[in-house]
Amino acid sequence: MPNRPVILARDVVKSYPVNGQTVTALRGVSLSFGSGEYLAITGPSGSGKSTLLQLLGGLDLPTAGHLELMGTPIERLSDGQLADLRLRQVGFIFQRFHLMPVLSARENVELPLAEAGVRPAERTARAMELLEYVGLASRSGHRATQLSGGEMQRVAIARALANRPALILADEPTGELDARTGAQILDLFDRLHADGTTLVVVTHDDHLAERAARRVHLLDGLIDRDEVARR
Amino acid sequence: MTWALVLRSLFRHPIRTALVILGIAVAGALLLDMVMLSGGMERSFSRMLLSRGFQIRLSPKGTLPFDTEATIPGITPLLDDLHRDPDIAAAGPVVATSLHARVRDSLVTFVGYGIDPGGQGLYQVQSGTDLARGDTTGLLISDPVAQRTRWAIGDSVVLLGRLDPQSVRAGAERRLVIRGLVRWLYDARGQRSLGANFRVFQQLGRFPGLDVASMVMVKVKDDAAVDRVAGRIGATHPSIEVNSVATLVRQFRTRMVYFQQLSLILATISLVVGVLLVGTILTISVSERAGEFAVLRAIGLRRRRIVGLVMTEGAVLTVVGTGLGTGLGFVTARFLDRILTSFPGLPGAISFFVPAPDTTASAAIVILAAGIGAAAYPAYLAARAPIAQTLRADAE
Repeated sequence: MPNRPVILARDVVKSYPVNGQTVTALRGVSLSFGSGEYLAITGPSGSGKSTLLQLLGGLDLPTAGHLELMGTPIERLSDGQLADLRLRQVGFIFQRFHLMPVLSARENVELPLAEAGVRPAERTARAMELLEYVGLASRSGHRATQLSGGEMQRVAIARALANRPALILADEPTGELDARTGAQILDLFDRLHADGTTLVVVTHDDHLAERAARRVHLLDGLIDRDEVARR
Repeated sequence: MTWALVLRSLFRHPIRTALVILGIAVAGALLLDMVMLSGGMERSFSRMLLSRGFQIRLSPKGTLPFDTEATIPGITPLLDDLHRDPDIAAAGPVVATSLHARVRDSLVTFVGYGIDPGGQGLYQVQSGTDLARGDTTGLLISDPVAQRTRWAIGDSVVLLGRLDPQSVRAGAERRLVIRGLVRWLYDARGQRSLGANFRVFQQLGRFPGLDVASMVMVKVKDDAAVDRVAGRIGATHPSIEVNSVATLVRQFRTRMVYFQQLSLILATISLVVGVLLVGTILTISVSERAGEFAVLRAIGLRRRRIVGLVMTEGAVLTVVGTGLGTGLGFVTARFLDRILTSFPGLPGAISFFVPAPDTTASAAIVILAAGIGAAAYPAYLAARAPIAQTLRADAE
C-alpha cells in the first residue's frame, strides 16, 4: 500500500480549446499513489493519458478538481513555484527524448543541475555518475544529435534523475525505439524502480505496462480500470 | 551553461547568424556615421576657428568674415582702440585681395592675405620662417602656390595687383622674397594663397590709399571674458559686425540644421532596421525552437531564465554586429568625408564626419540597447508559451 501520497488527484477535469471548440480530455479523474510505486497509465489514443501526465508533472493546471504533488496543491502555486517543483521534485522523460541538440550528453544532464544552482565541478561529477548509471559514460562528450534513439532516451533518463526527484514521469518512453532498444529502456526502468524511484509511465506498449506494479487504464477521460499486478 | 546554449544555438544556423550580424553592422555603421555627421561639421568648424586661439572676429556690418568683398573702414584707429584694451592679447587685421604673377608663359591668379605677423590667426608656418614684424619685402606662400609656380623659399618674385582684365595690365607690382611655406587655416583644398605685410597688400591690392581691412581677428586673454569683450567692441564700434566664435558656431548650426535633420532621420532609420533585424531573426528562431523552450520549462527552468537566454542571444548578435559596425562606420566615414570635403570652396580644415569618443559611445550604447530591447518580444514569446500545449503541438 502506498505510504505518503506522492500524487493525490481528486475529480480532476481538464478542458482546452481546439479549433474554437472546447475539448474535455479528463472528465473527473481521481488517483493517488505513493513513494516507490511503479504505475503505468494505459488507454487508447485520445483517452487523456498524456494530459493526465502533464497535470501530474505540473506542466499544466487542471480546469477543475484538486491535485497535490508531494502534499502541495499545485493549483495554488505561482509559475515560479511550479517551475521549482518541476526542477526539484519531478523528472520528465518524453517520447521524442527532447534533448538540447546543441549540448553534449553530459551538458544535457547538467542542465537541471545548473538551474538548481549546483556548482560546476559537482554537477559534472553527478552528470557523469548518472551517465554511468544509464551506461553512457563513454559517450558523455557526444552531442545529442550524434547519439542513437536508445542512447538519447538513456541520456533523457539521466537528465530526469539529475536533481534526485521524488517522481519520474515518462510519456511513451519506448514509442520511438525499436523492440530491442525499447527492452533495454524497460530494463533500466525496472532498475530505477528497484532502486526506489517512483515511476509513472504513459504507454501503449503492453510489455512496458506489464512490468508496472499498478496499471491505470483510461477511457474517454475517465479511469476505466485501476489494477495492481499480482507477482 | 547559458553561454554554451546561447552561442551554440546561434551557430546552429551560421550563415543566417552571419547575415544578421552583417546587417546589424551595416545599420550600426550608418548610425555611427550619422551621429558623426550630425555634429561633425560643427565640431570641425569650431576647432578650425579656434585653432590659433582667436575667439572674436570683426567684419563689415551685416556680413560674416570673408562672406563678401565689403571692408571695414578706419582700420588704424580701430586697431589702436583694440590694442589699448587690457583684456585683449592680440588683434590682427586681414585684408583679402586678388593678386597675380607671371609664371613662365601664363598669368596665375592668387588670393592675397595682407596680415600683421604680430597678431595673426590665419596660418601655420610649415617650413622656412614667419614674417618679422615690419617686414615689407617678405612673402609667405602655400603648398598649392609652390606646386603651381615651382617657387621655393628664398626666391624673389614679382606680384601684380589691380589687373585690368581688358588690357591684362597691372595697376601695381611689387617684388617680394619668399620667407616661408605656410598652411592657410581657412583655405579650400588646392586654393592658391599667399600672404605679406598688411600695408603692402593693402596698397598692392584693390585698396590703395584706403585704411581698410576685410576682417580683424581678436584674441582675448581670458576665455571667460570673450562675450564681455565682444559686447564692449560692438558697443564702441556699432558700424562693424562683432562675432565671437561661439556666435559664429551658433549661426553655422542654424545654417547646417538640415544636415542634422537628415542625419537624425537616417540614424533613426538605421536604428529601426537594426531593431527589426534582431527582432525578426530572434522571433523566427524562437518559433523554430518553441518545443525546446517548452522542454527547458518542463525540466524546471524559470521564465526569467528563458527570457535571459533569448535576450543574451540578442545581446551577442548586437555586440558583435555593433563591434563590426563601429569599424565599418569609421571606414565609410573616412571615405564619405573624402567625397564631401572635395566639394569646391569648402575650407580644407572642415570635416563632415568627426569622430568623438562621447558620440561614438552614445551611438554604440543606443544600438546595443535597441538590439537587446528588440529581443524582448521574442523572449516574451519563448517564456510565455504554454508548456503542455507546445509539447502537444511539437509531438504532432
